[in-house]
Amino acid sequence: MTAELAERLDTAALTATPIPQIASRAGLDAAAAYTVQEQLVARRLARGERLVGIKLGLTSRAKMAQVGVDEVIWGRLTDGMTVADGSTVDTSRLIHPRIEPEVAFLLDAAGNATAVAPALEVIDSRYADFRFALADVIVDNSSAAAYAIGSWRPVPDGVDNLGVLLEVDGRVVQIGSTAAILGDPRRAVSQGLRLAGRVEAGWVLLAGAATAAVPLAKGAYVRAVVEGLGAVGVRAS
Amino acid sequence: MNAAALLTEAYRTGVPCPPLRGTHIPEGDVDAAYAVQREQVDAWLAAGRRQVGAKIGLTARAVQEAFGVFQPDFGVLMADAAVPDGAEIALDRLLQPRVEAEVAFVLGADLPEPQVTTVDVIRATDHLLPAIEVVDSRVAGWDISIVDTVADNASSGLFVLGTRPVRLSDVDLRLCGAVVEHAGEPVSVGAGAACLGNPLHAVAWLAATLATAGQPLRAGDVVLSGALGPMVSVTPGAAYEARISGLGSVRVCFGKEAV
Repeated sequence: MTAELAERLDTAALTATPIPQIASRAGLDAAAAYTVQEQLVARRLARGERLVGIKLGLTSRAKMAQVGVDEVIWGRLTDGMTVADGSTVDTSRLIHPRIEPEVAFLLDAAGNATAVAPALEVIDSRYADFRFALADVIVDNSSAAAYAIGSWRPVPDGVDNLGVLLEVDGRVVQIGSTAAILGDPRRAVSQGLRLAGRVEAGWVLLAGAATAAVPLAKGAYVRAVVEGLGAVGVRAS
Repeated sequence: MNAAALLTEAYRTGVPCPPLRGTHIPEGDVDAAYAVQREQVDAWLAAGRRQVGAKIGLTARAVQEAFGVFQPDFGVLMADAAVPDGAEIALDRLLQPRVEAEVAFVLGADLPEPQVTTVDVIRATDHLLPAIEVVDSRVAGWDISIVDTVADNASSGLFVLGTRPVRLSDVDLRLCGAVVEHAGEPVSVGAGAACLGNPLHAVAWLAATLATAGQPLRAGDVVLSGALGPMVSVTPGAAYEARISGLGSVRVCFGKEAV
């Protein structure tokens, strides 16, 4: 059954067609849901994509409350999801994309953060109306769709309260702080290591959203600015 | 009772009054609301209380949209509303308190010109302090419109200032992160830009508004420039710490409910 769920999610993503909340309806628990996620990502790897990191989700109280859990979730990042800073995200291949500002960490083989950068993550639930229960979002690879990363720099002392702005076409649309990410985004590194079990040198870790996500509309230029870390931008086509 | 008397009674009894709009102050008549505020402030000063500055409210776009007003408002800060960093506030001093993280400006020069630029504010600022504003409403259930809050001293309650002065040039007031933490959890997050794009803009607005009214900001005044994130409803017994990137931290706690 898990292989069938993975195939349905893969097809939903490939065809940009939303599906019902199949995992929660099937009564999957979190452990079973992560098995489906692994199978889903394995299909991408079989098509030639490569694992390049992990992402955390539900890292703010508000999002945990929305899904009714008090635990963060994680997902797998592939090179097929990367978008270069300043380049274009093709929204025609997505269902109802949203974008959010984050910070990213660069990991060494032991899972230590060796560098940090501002990041933008495009999330795209494969479920109708972006509605899901915990098992649904886990099997859906935590809504991962695409991400862009700005310039890496050494991790400064204290990244726990950096101001974060999300701009669309030069206007500030969301304002927050990295404190929204588990109180301190460095906690995402240890949580990610614990949840994923293993990491590889050079992997990226997307720590979680610093503000609410906003819809990503075709034609928009979106930029995340993080205090002391610089900025990263993408254009939606 | 007139509007000022109703608010004064709410302070005295600790029992909030009904909204004033439509009954005691015409809807949308902001000038009339400021006159009600002035009447109370004059009485406070006549009673020997000391004014030490001003606060700016309605500086967040989301709050302005909720009220349908597209400018901030202001109230006065009295010396006896200042609470030491880390102190406990007895609940009976307040009616329905909420806390927010703000940047406090301490002025080193007067700002007498009605036409003010950001440069004037930069030059007049002696130092900054991190602050927690304990906002409060004398209007039941925080059921306020613009005239209710203006008449009610811009919903000012008490305020807590940090104790380590920071120079303006050492802080990025637009990008500085802000968080209010309760029991290890961030309960409100934001950044400097949430306050009219930059807290300096809020202070410039206040300086112009008060100079035009003939009561300009003076050297030594404290200005609470406006919230950097959403307000947090106070839980009895709770402690809150506000941290603003580059400015440091400040904290306050609240007494438990009377048994």
